[in-house]
Amino acid sequence: MEINQYMGMFLEESREHLQTLNRCLLELETQPDNLSVLDEIFRSAHTIKGMSATMGFTTVAELTHEMENILDMLRKAQIKADHIIIDVLFKCVDTLEQLVECITNNQECSEDIRPLVSTLQALASGQAGFEAAATLAAVAEDSPVQSMLALDEVDTKIIYTAQNQGMQAYEVIVSLKEGCLLKSARAYMVMRTLEELGEVIKSVPPVEDLERENFDLKFQVVLISDREPDKIRDAVMSISEVEKTDILPYAKITLDKKPRLGIAESKPKLTAEPPKENIEHSAVQSALADKKIKSGQSVRVDIERLDTLLNLVGELVINKTRLEQIGLTHRLNDLAETIELMDRITTDLQAVVMKVRMVPVGQVFNRFPRMVRDLSRDLKKEVNLIIQGEETELDRTVIDELGDPLVHLLRNAIDHGIETPAERQAKGKNPVGEIKLIARHEGNNVIILVEDDGRGINPDVIKRKAVDKQLITQAEADKMDSSEVVNLLFLPGFSTAETITDVSGRGVGMDAVKTKIEALGGMVDIETKINEGSKFKIRLPLTLAIIQALLVKVHAEIYAIPLSSIDSTINITPADIKTIQNQEVILLRGQIIPIIRLAEKLGVPQIPNDTHEELFVVIVHMGSQRAGIIVDTLIGQQEIVIKSLGKLLAGIKVIAGATILGNGQVALILDVGSIIQ
Amino acid sequence: MSNNAYSSDQVQLVVFKLGKEEYGISILQVQEIKRMTDITRVPHTPDYIKGVINLRGSVLPVVDLKKRLNMNAGEYNDNTRIIIVKIEEIFIGMIVDAVSEVLTLPVNNIEPAQTVVGGVSATYLYGVGKLDNRLIILLNLEALAGLGQETRAG
Repeated sequence: MEINQYMGMFLEESREHLQTLNRCLLELETQPDNLSVLDEIFRSAHTIKGMSATMGFTTVAELTHEMENILDMLRKAQIKADHIIIDVLFKCVDTLEQLVECITNNQECSEDIRPLVSTLQALASGQAGFEAAATLAAVAEDSPVQSMLALDEVDTKIIYTAQNQGMQAYEVIVSLKEGCLLKSARAYMVMRTLEELGEVIKSVPPVEDLERENFDLKFQVVLISDREPDKIRDAVMSISEVEKTDILPYAKITLDKKPRLGIAESKPKLTAEPPKENIEHSAVQSALADKKIKSGQSVRVDIERLDTLLNLVGELVINKTRLEQIGLTHRLNDLAETIELMDRITTDLQAVVMKVRMVPVGQVFNRFPRMVRDLSRDLKKEVNLIIQGEETELDRTVIDELGDPLVHLLRNAIDHGIETPAERQAKGKNPVGEIKLIARHEGNNVIILVEDDGRGINPDVIKRKAVDKQLITQAEADKMDSSEVVNLLFLPGFSTAETITDVSGRGVGMDAVKTKIEALGGMVDIETKINEGSKFKIRLPLTLAIIQALLVKVHAEIYAIPLSSIDSTINITPADIKTIQNQEVILLRGQIIPIIRLAEKLGVPQIPNDTHEELFVVIVHMGSQRAGIIVDTLIGQQEIVIKSLGKLLAGIKVIAGATILGNGQVALILDVGSIIQ
Repeated sequence: MSNNAYSSDQVQLVVFKLGKEEYGISILQVQEIKRMTDITRVPHTPDYIKGVINLRGSVLPVVDLKKRLNMNAGEYNDNTRIIIVKIEEIFIGMIVDAVSEVLTLPVNNIEPAQTVVGGVSATYLYGVGKLDNRLIILLNLEALAGLGQETRAG
């Protein structure tokens, strides 16, 4: 239970670190010698390892541990970050991502890390040239007896620490007399004696085997002690039936001897920094780095809490309006002043709360460099991804939905847009293609551009395809201009890829992109020039929670129409309304626009004596369709907070939601799309 | 259909009036009781859904309970109240003629709904509580909340 409380944090942080890993590995690939990048990778891996071990996710911990080994070697320049290693590391990151995903979904993870782990180990040892068995082989070279003990990393560290504290590590080789009857008892006594003298950190064979008499006459023990070797020997020899005791002091450990590396073979005494210091050093460094990052970092807050906060602020604003009205009726100067002050504060408060919900678009962009790298490799293309404006902020809800459409667009750009290097060279272009992913503000919108310098979209090809697929007729195709043609891409079931790859070209992409973006209240435009490239422009509202809307009145009821779907508003008289086949229409600048009487459409109860000489028409559009909505009066433009109508009232077609007006009243937001249809 | 709200030895009921009859719901399901306020009509909904109100920043639907139970709806007056109840995570306002009191009723005094013959469709009833000479009709809010489906269909 208690663990659960940290689960969210663990998952979030793991994802963050995985993203860092991805980003840094990409950097490392371009500059293999960059130590600071390596350090960052190491830190991230280390953090993941620590966190997952604490949370009990051993698979994750195990994998990261193996990664760390490799990374450590990279860091010490014992091996080089060639593409094999980088690929393996990328694979590790992918696997980790999957593991974390499994944890998120609370599933048993089927991911088998063993092959990866053994690859990592092979990399560590294979490149190393010789095996850890010779480790440390602290065996003083002049020693008559060869050590048979292989020490692992942990042992080495313990010994190292002990040596630093002025203690000695010995390898004690005890031989029992031939014909010894109670070998296990003797061994036990030896062990006890040794334990009195110091600390036994390892024995070969292991203690269990000793107890079961599962050994020959000889066994070895690694002992850490501050006693002289002779004293130890005497103590052991005083036990009966011990034939011989050899005590081999370990040389002062310089862990570089831990010969994992090829270079170490020729120069076994190669001096590298003692690892302890190294570890400490990096710990300090990472602590520093953490601190640095944290000072610019943030508090994690559940988005629901922010919503609650937003609601409360909304409440506050509404009550402030009421106070204002009271102030007006009673004409109290003091009150009016206070209210004015309060007004300013609440406005600021509202702005701040809205801002809190904003997150930089970089959160989505971050994962693309990796994706582009992998994809361009698969497709044997060379692509340089340029990201700009990742600090541009968008509402959290928009950010969450933005990933998929952008993936589609980028995949399309790499698959269809960018040509192969040979093709590019033939066209006199830089063989390395360029894809730009740019985010920027534009008024109340955020623009995201996906731009490639590839082959562009050929309108004739699109026309032909569209006709082939019977999406349009030949006659229609002939009438279209090139911008209309490009928009055919968005038709469901359209795909221009000559061959369908698993990357793109299944004919679902662009259609899905458009739907998604429109669901977010945005728009997609395409600009393209043959052989110069294409540009996809996504325009998104800053937030989904607050929109600009026009408030209109129909009889006694107030409705909000999202400003994004309004073209204009005009005044007409009843005489301006004509009918075509029983459909009421008006003529606006030569265009015939069908009109909808909102009062009838929504069944608004009539108020007696409520007739208007003048009619207000709000011209709205949805896609290419336009219509005029007749309302009684226009109240004005206002920022409104969108609230859902709740489960009970879900599924009412013409209403997109509700909002609370300044006086506390609820006004409904019209769903223009379904009203037009 | 579990009805935890009525499951212990005795239940505390919020008693309210619809016409001349007394009705009760478990106090555990009642969030608050409001005076009549502005209700925004929502188009294309069944007539028993009066619309939506603003309850401290959230928008919630209001049902005219008398219409919902097919009783003759009267005018709203000073005694009219909106009882905000929570049914399966959904908040709903119910318009009632008056809220009279909160009382405790031993569970033994509740007769199951099947044996009662009344104007209100038995599906919406949990039972009838007897206290002294009064009969209090206990409503099954979970069944009433099933109205969501009907709304969508209509």
